[in-house]
Amino acid sequence: MTHLRDKYCIVGIGETEYSRGSGRTTRAMAVEAVRTAMRDAGLGPADVDGMMSYQNGDSTPANWVAPDLGIRLDFYMDVLGGGSSTEALIGLAMGAIEAGMCRTVAIFRSMNGYSEVRIGGTGARAAQPVRGLDLAQVPFGMRSAGQNFAPTFMRHMYEYGTTSAQVARVRVAHSRHASQNPKALLKERVTVTDVVGSRWIVKPLHLLDCCLETDNATCLIVTSAERARDLRHRPVYVMGVAGRVSKPRTDFHWAHGPITRVAGWHARDIVFGQAGITPADVDATGSYDAFTFTTMLQLEEYGFCEKGEGGAYVSSGAIDLGGARPNNTSGGHLCEGYTHGMSMVIENVRQLRGTVDDYCPGWAEGAHTYDYAPGRCRQVEDVEITMNLGWAVPSTGSALILRR
Amino acid sequence: MPEPVQYRGMTLLVPDNESEWREFYAHARAHRLVVRKCAACGLLRYPPSHACPWCVDLGWTWQEVSGRGTIYSYEIVVHAIQPGFKELAPYPVVLVELDEQRGRPTPDEALRVIGDLVTPDLRPAAEADVAIGRRVRVIFQDLAEHLALPQFTLTDEPPAGRVWRLPE
Ligand SMILES: [Zn+2]
Repeated sequence: MTHLRDKYCIVGIGETEYSRGSGRTTRAMAVEAVRTAMRDAGLGPADVDGMMSYQNGDSTPANWVAPDLGIRLDFYMDVLGGGSSTEALIGLAMGAIEAGMCRTVAIFRSMNGYSEVRIGGTGARAAQPVRGLDLAQVPFGMRSAGQNFAPTFMRHMYEYGTTSAQVARVRVAHSRHASQNPKALLKERVTVTDVVGSRWIVKPLHLLDCCLETDNATCLIVTSAERARDLRHRPVYVMGVAGRVSKPRTDFHWAHGPITRVAGWHARDIVFGQAGITPADVDATGSYDAFTFTTMLQLEEYGFCEKGEGGAYVSSGAIDLGGARPNNTSGGHLCEGYTHGMSMVIENVRQLRGTVDDYCPGWAEGAHTYDYAPGRCRQVEDVEITMNLGWAVPSTGSALILRR
Repeated sequence: MPEPVQYRGMTLLVPDNESEWREFYAHARAHRLVVRKCAACGLLRYPPSHACPWCVDLGWTWQEVSGRGTIYSYEIVVHAIQPGFKELAPYPVVLVELDEQRGRPTPDEALRVIGDLVTPDLRPAAEADVAIGRRVRVIFQDLAEHLALPQFTLTDEPPAGRVWRLPE
C-alpha cells in the first residue's frame, strides 16, 4: 500500500505563544493558530473547507472556530484524543480529501494545559469520579501520565540496564535545542547532573524527566500535492503515516508483555512500508517527549537502534543537533512546551522547508549558519526526510514520515 | 443503588449496573480475589471484561485465585497528584504477576494486577523493601459494605528470579 505516498502535503503551520497562563479561551487561541497557518500557507477563508481537532473535553470544537475566520466547512470532526492524535488526524485528513469530502483540512489542538485543565492530572482531573476501567489503577494512587508509565520505564531499566543518567541525555539534548528557539519556554541548557539531581516525581522519573504543562494552540494544514505546488512555501510531502496503532489488550496492556515494548513496534512496518524507506534514511526525528523515557522507547521500536540499546543511543550524541539524527530540534515537550504532539510535526515541517525560526538573522529566507552554539542556529543541514514518533500511552502510538 | 464510596478524596462509583466490577468488589469484600474464567477455553483474565480475548467466547465464571505472586515492576510515587495520597507519599505502587497462568497462553502474557504495596496494617511499605522479584500476597482493604480494595503485602518466601530495585 504505497498509493498515497507523496500525494498529500502539509502546506501551513501555525502556533500561538507557549505560555503558562494564556489569560484567554481555547477558542481565542485556536482562532489565532488556524489563522496563522492559513496566512503561512497563503490560503484565504474560501480555500479551507475542512477542519479537524482533538481534545479531551478541554477545548473548543471546529465549528466554533471556523466561523470566526469566515470559513464555511464541507467537513469537520472533533475527536477525543491526546498524544499521537496529530499524525493520525493528518492521515484522516488525507482520507477525507481522497474521499472527495473536502479539499483542504486545517487540524488544530488548543488547550490551556497549565492554567485550566492541567495535563499533569492535578486539579479538575484528580477530582473526577473513578469508575469503569479506571478502577484497575486510579484507587491505588496511579492517575497521572507519569504514574501510568513509570512501571514500563522501571521494567526497561531492569531488563536492559538502562540508567537514569542515560535517559537524562534526552533532556540535555532537547534543552540545547530549546536554547536555539526564541519561542521555547525553557531556554536554559541543563546537564545530566541537573536532571538526575532534580527532585523525584514518581521513581524512576525526576522532575526534569517530565515535560512542561503549557497553554497554547497549534495548527497544521493538509492538502493535495497538486494544490500545494501553488501555495506559499515549498511543499512538504507525506510519505507515510500510521495512526493510533495499538498493542494487544489496550484495556490493560500490562497483561500482554513484553511491557517494555511500546506501540511503535507494531506501527513501524506500516509507516516504513508506505514510505519505502528505512530508519537509516531519516535525517531528523520528532520522538514524543512527554518524558525522557518515551523518546528513548520509541526510537528503539522504530529501529533507530536495537531494542534495549535506547539508553546508549540517546546518550551517544546522535539525537543532538549536529549529531547523526537530531531529535526534537525545537526543544520538544520537555523544553519548548507541551502541545500533545503538534509542535513536533510543525518543527519538522519547518526543518524540511529550511526555514527554522532560530536566532540566525536570515532564517526566514533559509540563510542559516549551522552553528549550534547556544543562542544560534537549530536548522539541520541538508535535511530531506523527517519522522515523527507520536506517543499516547505505552500501548498506543502514531508515526509520520515527511520529505521535502 | 449502593452509595458511592469516598476514599482518599476520590469518589469510587460502582453502581448496580456496573457489569464489570460490582461482583468483583463483592468478592473482594469477602476477601476473595477473583478473576474471570472463560467458559470455553478456560483461560483467566483481568481486569473484568465481557469476552475472552483469546477465543472471543462470551461465557465466563468468577474464579478465585491464590492472590500470591511476584513483583513484576513498580514505581515509587514521591509527588502525589491526588490530594488524598499526599500524606502517604512516598508510596509504592506495584505491578504483580500472579502465580496462576504465568507465561500463558503466550510467553509474555500473564495475569497481572496493579495495587499498592502495603504493610499488614495497610500503610505504604518501606521503599527499601520494594524490588522486582520479591514475593507478595493479596490483602484486602475494606472500604464499605460492598467494596474492598485488593492490595499487596510482602511475604517471607524466597524471591522469584533476579531481585532488582532502582539504584539509590
Ligand atoms: Zn476463551
